[in-house]
Amino acid sequence: MSDNRPHRLLRPETLTASGIIVISTILLVPALDMRAMTALLPAAMLVGLVILGLLLLLRDQRKASAGEAPLAMTQSPGRVAGAFALTVVYAIATDLLGFYVSTAISVPLVAGIFGFQNPLGLAAATIIVVGSIWLIFDFAMSQQFPSGQLWEH
Amino acid sequence: MYGDLLNALPDVLGFSNFAAIVIGVLAGIVVGAMPGLSATMAISVLVPFTFGLEPLVALGLMAGIYNGAMYGGAIPAILLRIPGTPAAVATTFDGYPMAQKGEGGFALQVAVVSSSIGGIASAFALMLLAPPLSKVTLLFGLSEVFWVAVFGLASIIFLLGGNPIKGLISACFGVFVSVIGADPIFGTDRYTFGMLELYDGISIVILLVGLYALPPVIDLLEVPLKTETDTKKLGTEPIWKALPRMYRFRKTWLRGSLIGIWIGILPGAGGSMAAFMSYNEARRASKTPETWGEGEPEGVAAAEVANNADTASALIPALTLGIPGTAVAAVMLGGLLIHGLQPGPMLFRENPDIVFGFMWQFLFAAILLVFLGGSLATNSFARLLNLPRPLLGSVIIVLMLIGVYSIHGRMFDVYLMLGFGAIGYVMDKLKFPLPPVVLGLILGAFAEENLRLALRIGRGDWSILFQNVTSLVLVALTVAVVVGPIVKRQVIDKRREAKNGSGA
Repeated sequence: MSDNRPHRLLRPETLTASGIIVISTILLVPALDMRAMTALLPAAMLVGLVILGLLLLLRDQRKASAGEAPLAMTQSPGRVAGAFALTVVYAIATDLLGFYVSTAISVPLVAGIFGFQNPLGLAAATIIVVGSIWLIFDFAMSQQFPSGQLWEH
Repeated sequence: MYGDLLNALPDVLGFSNFAAIVIGVLAGIVVGAMPGLSATMAISVLVPFTFGLEPLVALGLMAGIYNGAMYGGAIPAILLRIPGTPAAVATTFDGYPMAQKGEGGFALQVAVVSSSIGGIASAFALMLLAPPLSKVTLLFGLSEVFWVAVFGLASIIFLLGGNPIKGLISACFGVFVSVIGADPIFGTDRYTFGMLELYDGISIVILLVGLYALPPVIDLLEVPLKTETDTKKLGTEPIWKALPRMYRFRKTWLRGSLIGIWIGILPGAGGSMAAFMSYNEARRASKTPETWGEGEPEGVAAAEVANNADTASALIPALTLGIPGTAVAAVMLGGLLIHGLQPGPMLFRENPDIVFGFMWQFLFAAILLVFLGGSLATNSFARLLNLPRPLLGSVIIVLMLIGVYSIHGRMFDVYLMLGFGAIGYVMDKLKFPLPPVVLGLILGAFAEENLRLALRIGRGDWSILFQNVTSLVLVALTVAVVVGPIVKRQVIDKRREAKNGSGA
């Protein structure tokens, strides 16, 4: 019988607890240079996070020893990673290429990649979304969106 | 005290304020009807767009969305057995069997009328209970305010159920985020790492959108559910014809409303707990409990009246003490803050027109539910279930970007929001509660400022925090909130052991 469970040190809760401990410890360093009262709350929270992270780590490792399955993070990791990646790429593209260009590309691209591939529906949705945003925010509310750093320089 | 309540009414009935409620209710039903989207998420996405609006218009939208979404969740719960919101889980028990018997239209009408009655009862509870409570809280000094903040955090961590370690981690994270920026007393910077964008601290809106809006969008794209439904088979009749058939639910409506209001006031509990409790109590009181679960309309009434009765009542501790009863109330506190309205006792003294207007808006939103979600609109809302989810996901991402960008007009906030979104996704999947993060951000800075001012007045003497009865009562309540669930768990475990022992 094959066991698809990850190594006990690679369990999601263990990794998260380790991350909390490491990041909180690193963030404690700047608190050393602060005045006592200024550092009071951040230091208390960071020390608390280190202790709680340790407790979480120990509890999860105890569960691993008892053979308990780790909490499932995602049903399809590829789709989750893809969704996150496309969202980040969309934000970067907005910064570099400008809001309207990026949105006109992103709406049909994301919907198409994730399963809605009706060309007419995609075109209609893109026109409605981009058009409505321009009408409501740009035209009616004079809201300025990023015009794209590439074109500015 | 209640004179201010009446004085606020004319403003609420103004065109733009009333239109905001109507739009909010419609938008809320749409959001609630879509599985995967919740009132919390909708309000999180909406909050940044309300910056330029009058406070009452913004709050009217929020009140409408909250009420609408709580009913909207019943649409897929009844038609597809997929609860549109977590609070609609109990609605599936009898709603879906009714739809299968061809009574889906009647089930939706029972849901909308019950939701409306629950919402109206909740709004009255808010109007009656919040003003006197605010009078009491006006007596609080610096140390009491500090202890109220500590009590609020403790109650939401420990009464929320689940894992207290994770709740504490969430709260610590929220409080830590609140200290980023300039020190409130000395003005020195903390954890800005030289970034000017962080000097004024992190806007609660960025955190809200990241934590509450991005994870559901990722879920929408991860599992594209096929939710096609045939609205022709609903069997909907005009709502006025259906009303006489609902008269027999009056006791259930009363019981469910009281349960919902009580659960709403309790910090950490929420609509789903109210709906389950109301459903169980109504079934216990029923003369025909054997028909429950097989399409009993009273089951739908019990669940829906309670999950709407906790809407406005969740704002009683939120508006008076700054302690939200539910996650949506926590997000609404964020909405109040961006309009410069600090929840707490001073809110009632400094902005009575807005805070009392907000209460009226909850009442009108609940009444409008019947008209907007009634027989005419029910079929249209049911058709919403056929919208392609990937397209919906991509549009929400665009709205999130616009909302966050428009706060300060800079992309830095968008990247920060994506960072919080990634953290929120991991927290969501690993079952870390999100409300303590929001509450930590709201109460962290508030608690720190009051603590430090109290210590300055007391010349650094920490005993100043324990020098009056109110402070000691708040400390005792905090200890009770922390120790209570632990003792309760031990008692339950001992009883279980004793039962198993005697059984063996």
